[in-house]
This record gives sequence, structure tokens and C-alpha cells, in this order.
Amino acid sequence: MKLFVLGLLACASAQAALLGPISVGDVRPDLFLLLLFFLSPRVSPEVATFQGFVIGLCQDALSGGPLGLRAFTYTFLGFVTAWLSHDLYTEKPLAQFWLLLAGAAGAGVLTFALLTFFVGFLPLLPALGVIVPEAVYTAVVGFLLLRLPQVRATLVRAT
Amino acid sequence: MSILWRVLARHRRAVILAIVLLAAFLLMTAQVRHDRAVVSLVRQAILFTVSPFIKLTAVTVGSVSHVWHNYVDLRDLRQENLRLQREAALLQRRIDQLEEQVLETQRLQGLLAMRDAWRAEFVAARVVGKDATNWFKTILIDRGSRAGMRRNLPVVAPDGLVGRIVEVTPSTAKVQLITDPVSAAGALMQRTRVTGIVIGNLGAGLRVRYLPLLADVVVGDEVVTSGMGGVFPKGIPVGRVITVERKSGALFQEAVLQPKVDLGRLEEVVILMNSEPRQGFETGSRQQP
Repeated sequence: MKLFVLGLLACASAQAALLGPISVGDVRPDLFLLLLFFLSPRVSPEVATFQGFVIGLCQDALSGGPLGLRAFTYTFLGFVTAWLSHDLYTEKPLAQFWLLLAGAAGAGVLTFALLTFFVGFLPLLPALGVIVPEAVYTAVVGFLLLRLPQVRATLVRAT
Repeated sequence: MSILWRVLARHRRAVILAIVLLAAFLLMTAQVRHDRAVVSLVRQAILFTVSPFIKLTAVTVGSVSHVWHNYVDLRDLRQENLRLQREAALLQRRIDQLEEQVLETQRLQGLLAMRDAWRAEFVAARVVGKDATNWFKTILIDRGSRAGMRRNLPVVAPDGLVGRIVEVTPSTAKVQLITDPVSAAGALMQRTRVTGIVIGNLGAGLRVRYLPLLADVVVGDEVVTSGMGGVFPKGIPVGRVITVERKSGALFQEAVLQPKVDLGRLEEVVILMNSEPRQGFETGSRQQP
């Protein structure tokens, strides 16, 4: 619980105030998503569901989007990540990268689908211009974070 | 009843997932139906909790960055030139400070110049955070309801329009930038006085829609706010036309704009508390017929 709260506050601060200098063409990695991916394997799918909801709600509050957009996406992803963590856990770096990329792209696609459903204003091509760079950048940052010994040890213990 | 409980217990995970997904779905539905009270309360509670940490991080990063730059400046100097190094470093720091002061003064002079152009009360604010997603374009400023901020107040920079306030907490406010995909403002082509609606473009940039098909719109035209809609006062520079699109069969033409303000590098902004143009922001503008 302590790790979750601290991680959430750190992500919120970093995402809003720190990532400007490392943004590439106005695209920044999604630290909230990485927090979800790193925390979900440590807990049961039920807890991961609630964690995803709270993380998403926090990100929604800090963004201009409708409240509940990311909460919905991360609730689903938190559940799926926790549920499949034993089956999908891998030590292979390339596989880790592809899993992170798939997860981040999945979050983007789900967000796009929800936005289209609720707001109905998004053309596909510009949306892909948001989804793909964000997913790649998030996967790269997640991949680099996984190279940190502390993060690896935490995930190995969890799975 | 007991059968129902047994079924629910057996599918506990799916039930919890469905309930939480439903909660998120209902939150979004509430906003679409303009039932903003609960949503606004939740949003403000989270912002109120998190914004002190964001402000603290912004201040800390600024300080650490300053120390780091000084360290980088100093690290390569040799030991035997220590005295000169210290002197040079001191001078360099002084120059950096002065240059920073000159830049800040220039920015603040730009803000003060607006006092002459506008019969407006305004409040200056610093940008302390950016949108937490890449889908929307908002910023967080360090002035909130305690400083008189409220929803829909226009936010500008010396170069032109920035956006409007959409959320307020006691100490911070969230500003929706004009490049946000759900942002819209009345627009006026400064040269020809043709009106349209300027909207944010997903990804980046701005687009003016609903320009009459036969209207005279060319690359390089300046676009200002039209004052229609009641949020933005008339005459604030918005951008310059970089592309004009006339699709065959369309009823209107569209123009892609380069925003006047570099919205990715905003440090300070000004909030117009109750604005009314005296001469207008427009430079060399025509009088409206």
C-alpha cells in the first residue's frame, strides 16, 4: 500500500513537472502506465483492478480528458496484467520490450475507442500519431527501468 | 438468493472487474450528460491532494538544475587555476543570473505592455505542470481560487492566446490550451474579417474551420479571436495561416495555423480577469466594417 501511494505521488509529480525536458516532439512516456505494469504482478487481480482504477483516476484528474477515461483503461489493464503475470513473466529483454509495447499500445487503442464512443471527434490517423509514439517511448523507458536491479528483484519476488 | 451469492462468490474476480469498470464508465457518462457536480468534486479533490507535490517537484527540479549546471560549468577546470576558476565561475554565474534576469524582464515587459492595450484586470501566473497524457493539452498554473481564478477565464501570453481555465483548486488552476483537441474559439481573419472557428488539432497545431468557400484566405494571414462565444475577448492573436485546404464538394474551406504562442515553452502566463479591448492586440488591424 505504501509503495502504491508513494509510486502514485511520484508518478503524478514526475509526469506533470519533470518530463518536459525529455519529451520528444511533445510526446512523453506514460509513467502511470509503467507504475501499473510494475505493481500489478505483485498483487491479486482484484487488488490490481482497484489499483488501476485509482491510478487512472489520478491521471484523468491531471489531464484535460474526461474523468474515468484512463480509470476504465487502467482498471482493465491492471486486471489483465495481474491475471496473466505468471504466464507472461519473462527474463528475455526483447520479450520484455515487446510485452511493454503491446501493453502500452493496447492502452492507447482502448483510450481511442472510449474517446470515439464518448466524444466521437477523433480521426484514426492523427490518433495513431499519438498512440504509436507514446507506446514506443513508454516501452523504451519501461525497458530501461527494468534494467535497474531493484525493479528486477521486486518483479522476480512478485512472480 | 443463496444461489446468487454462490454464483457471485465463484465469479468474484469478474464481478469486481465489472463493478469497477462500470464505475469508470458512469463517471464518463456523467460528464457527457453535463452532470459535472460529482465529477468536479472528485477531480478537485485529487488535484488538491496532488498539486502541492507537483509544485514542490517543479521548485526542486529548478534548484537541482541550477546546481547541476553550475557543477557542469566547474568540473573541467584544472586545480592550478583554482583562483581563476572561482573568479570565472562567479562571473559566469553572475552573467547567467543577469541573462536570466534580462529574459525574465523581457517576458514581464511583454506582459505589462498588455496593460496598455487592455482595459483589464489581470493576474500573472507561473506554469508548474503539464498534461499527464499525450491526448490532451492542458497546463497547471500556480494560481487558484484564492487568487480569484474561476472557470472560463481567458489565459494569454505576450504573443497571444494560450487557452482558458477549466478546473480550479484553492492554489492551482488547470488551463486548457487552444491546441487541445476539444478546445474551440471564435476566430477572425485579421486582413479580410472573415470569421470561423479555431479548434485544436490532435497531435499539434490549430485549424480554422467553417471559413466560407469563396472567402479570401491566403498563407500568411493573421488570425485573431472574434469575441464570439463570450469566453475570449475580441482581437487576441491566435496564429498565422500556414496551409489553406479547399476540398472539392465541401461547403467550407479550412486553414491550418501556426500558433502565435510557443505553447510547449510557456513559463509565465496572464489570466484576464475581466477583459475588454481598448485598442486591441491587433497590430495594424482594420476597423471592422
